[in-house]
Parts: sequence; C-alpha cells; structure tokens
Amino acid sequence: MNHDRDGLMVARRSDGRLVRRPLSPHLQVYRWPVSMVLSISHRITGAALSVGALLMTWWLVAAAASESAFATVQEFLGSSFGVLLLMGWAAALVLHVFQGIRHLAWDAGWGFGTLAPQDPVGSGTAKRIYGVTGWGVIGITAAATLIVWIAGLAAWE
Amino acid sequence: MVAFSLPANSRIKQGKTYRAPAGAKRVRTFRIYRWNPDDGANPRMDTYEIDLDTCGPMVLDALIKIKNDVDSTLTFRRSCREGICGSCSMNIDGGNTLACLKPIEDITGAVRITPLPHMAVVKDLVPDLTQAFAQYRAIEPWLKADTPPPPDGERLQSRKERAQIDGLWECILCFCCTAGCPSYWWNGERYLGPAVLLQAYRWIAESRDEATGERLDALNDPFKLYRCHTIMNCTDTCPKGLNPAKAIGAIKQLIIERQV
Amino acid sequence: MTKQSNNPQVDILRSQLKRVRGLGSSHSGSQAWWAERLTSIALVPLTLWFIASVIGLEGATRADMVAWLHAPVPLVLILCLIVTTFWHMELGLRVVIDDYVHNNAIRIAMLLFQRGLCIIAGLFCVIAVLRLGLWEGGS
Repeated sequence: MNHDRDGLMVARRSDGRLVRRPLSPHLQVYRWPVSMVLSISHRITGAALSVGALLMTWWLVAAAASESAFATVQEFLGSSFGVLLLMGWAAALVLHVFQGIRHLAWDAGWGFGTLAPQDPVGSGTAKRIYGVTGWGVIGITAAATLIVWIAGLAAWE
Repeated sequence: MVAFSLPANSRIKQGKTYRAPAGAKRVRTFRIYRWNPDDGANPRMDTYEIDLDTCGPMVLDALIKIKNDVDSTLTFRRSCREGICGSCSMNIDGGNTLACLKPIEDITGAVRITPLPHMAVVKDLVPDLTQAFAQYRAIEPWLKADTPPPPDGERLQSRKERAQIDGLWECILCFCCTAGCPSYWWNGERYLGPAVLLQAYRWIAESRDEATGERLDALNDPFKLYRCHTIMNCTDTCPKGLNPAKAIGAIKQLIIERQV
Repeated sequence: MTKQSNNPQVDILRSQLKRVRGLGSSHSGSQAWWAERLTSIALVPLTLWFIASVIGLEGATRADMVAWLHAPVPLVLILCLIVTTFWHMELGLRVVIDDYVHNNAIRIAMLLFQRGLCIIAGLFCVIAVLRLGLWEGGS
C-alpha cells in the first residue's frame, strides 16, 4: 500500500456515486525559477557523469590491459565524436562542481537569505541571494567550461 | 515510476468563454481551471474577460467578481482577503501564491489560475489538503515539556529565545510551498514537505519545548526529511516571504551536529 | 501506481494520521546525506586536478600513462579520486532512484544493480591504476 494518496483520489458525487478526482496540473503549469532549473541540471549532469565514470573505467582498464587496447581508446577519444563527448563531460563536470559548491554552502547554512530586508508581506521583490548565486553558477560554469575547452582543444592540436 | 504527465482523467480540455460586457475599457482575460465532480467530464479551462475598472486590484477580487457577477458556479476558498488565513492559495501565472496578495497588475497577459499543483482536486480551485494537514498533525505541533510550568505564571522565554522562532511562527499553512515542491509532487506520501518541516523546526527551535531530540529522531528518515534536495521552490514561492528551505537546512544541520 | 479504473472504489479507509505516520521514522538517512557532502567536498579539488590531468594526457601513449602514474602524487590522488567518485556516484544515484521509482521490487533491484556497478567499476579502476603505477615497466 505504497500509494496512500490514492485514497484521496476518490470522491463522492452529489448523487452518492464514486468518482475519480483529477490531479491538479504541476509541471504542466509551474513557472521555473533559476534554482529549479539548476537543481534538475545538477541531477542530469550527475547521471551523465556516472556514464562518464564508466568511460574513465574503460580508459584506465585499457591502459592497464595492453598497448593495442589503449591505442583503441585513445583513438576513439581523439576522434571528433570522442572530443565532443569529452567536451560534454567537461561541461557537465564543471556545472556539477560549481552547483555542488552552491549546495555545500546551503548545507553550511549560507546563501538562503535576501540581499535587502524582505518586504513584510513578501511580494517577492527583494533580491534573493540564492537567485544571485544561481546566475553566478551559470556564469562561472560558462566561463570555466570555455577555458577548459580552449585548453583541451589547444592540447589536442 | 513517477508519472511526470497528468493521468488521462486529469488532462485539461478547452472550456467556455465569458466575454466582457460591451463598452468595457480595461479588459483582462482570466483562464481558470474548472472541474465539477457531478458532470463526469475532464477538467477544463474557462475563460473570463473582466473589466478591471469594475474590479478590485487583486486576483482574489477578480475571482469574487466572477463568482458574484459572471458565473456563480466557480468554487474557490477564501476568507480574510488580507494574507493571514491562508485559504486562497492557488497557482497563479505559474507560481503558487495567495490570490488576495497577488496584484493583477503584476501579471502580463492572460491570468492563468489553477489549483495548488499535484493535489487531488475537490472542485475547481479547491485542492484536497487532508494529507498535508495530517502530516502537520504527525509532527505534533504543540509544546512538549516535562518540567511543569511555574505555579504562578507562564513558561518564560527571553527576547533572544523568542527571536529564534521569528520567520517560523508567521507561517499560515497555506501550503503554497509544499505544493510547489517537486519532491513533494513525486513523494508526497512519504516526504513531509516544506510547510510541515518548517513547522517541525518551529518546535525544534522553541526554547520552551523539551522534546528536541525526539523531534529530530522522528525526522531523521530518508523520506520524511531527506527528500529535500534544496530545489528552493518553497522559499521562492512563499507568499509570506518565509524561508522553509533554510528551516529544513537547519534541521539537517542539527541532526549532523549530534552525531559528529 | 495503482491502476486507474472507471469504476472507482474506496479501499483505503484508514485515518489520514495512520497513513502519513506510515511505518514511522527509520532513524537513518543522515549518514548517507552526510557521506554525500563529505565526498563532494573531497571531489571539488580532486575533480579540478583530474580535468587538468586529462588535458595534459590528451593523445598520450601507454608509456606516458605508466610514467604519469609512477609518480607517487598522481597515483595517490587518482586513487582518492576513484574511491570518492564511485562512492559519491552510488549515493547520488541512490537518491535519484529513491525519488522516481516507486515500485519497491524494481527499486531495490535497481539499487542493488547500481551499487554493484559502482563497486565493480571502482575496483576495476583501482586495480588498473595500481597495475600501471606499481608493476608496469616504468622508470
């Protein structure tokens, strides 16, 4: 009986017959704040990096196995598809690291508040620190990713 | 698997349109979620054109105007119309807020109004909050103390101790935050949700309460508490400007504090 | 998810309090959460170091890898990186699965699979690195 909420999904009509209630729209209507976008990005990049970790496993195991096995991996990673994969991996890693630092700051109790004193009946006008840090993470990620890409492409040639 | 899309009986159909009276100057369109258990149909979006010159400034004013003058079958909760009762929480223009505190002028284009997200709908804009209130009951939101109160007065609290619950006691339990939390959408049966966790912290931070350890024990659970992934929608959407995410962070810190 | 029928029926009549209290608190969860934070702190510098190393090793031959891992610092750092990466990965994937998979049989199967995958892949990495760094040719 995992879904006790189902007990709420059945109601009685005026004539006493049972009727299934609808579920109100959620993702379909919700406006995405920057933190929500970053949160799901953190999750998606985390999952992508798990695949990247398996790629790293292949790379290291091939290096330990034999000259030819390692040459195959290096050739694949040096191909245009491989380079694209590595560039995606680097971007995902950079975002995950900087968003991860933002998470660590929250967990340490920092970064929840407002920059200006909050409007007493908050109409949401006061600048929120987490909004600023969210855009900061996006900016830093873009810059750092670009640096890594340039350094990587320079070393590739 | 979690369902990210709406079940078949919940998909929204196009509804009726109620035009503004001829000669109306400042017309705004309100697209409002409707569902009636008695008509056996799917939910629909009805469109109401309202002349703002004949209507108050807040979204709740428009809803009341529609109910009084246009379509008396529209159902929604409201009471105080000044942001203290927590009744008129709903999703307006994509964000959860109190209709009485949301100026129509803050919204560009048509005003889309749906019930609080991912809830069972009772009728129109009225969600079933039974589960959320039961979760509130489950955190035992009352003072627990073994020390008897002084025979000649109340339990005392210093000004500093009293300040510890600022930003917590103001919560009016409108459940805007809880209904805005994706974690609560997917795991609301087991996750307590931001509103209830903020209330739990209100009693943990309470200097006169002596059950702090028990309260933390009850929360230390992968689903009851740790489904919070700091998505921040709760704090972002709170119509009272409170900070449930910060309160939940404080609970997590206290649980770590006693084990390291 | 319970299958939706056109003939709804009420088969849950327990009180709401009974429902939300469920089986009570497991008194756990903080350990996994804390371990996720600790591994993430370690991974911040390790990851930045690893990105730089990978750039340096583009187009490397196997001999370059052996030479790289024969130095003690890269060998120790990459061992730290491997352990914390797969540990953190296990914790993170567990959270995602717990969030989205509601059928307990499938969920537990997925948790076991991902944990096994993390342990096995991690062991492969450790052994490969040790072989390159300790036994293989080198300077």
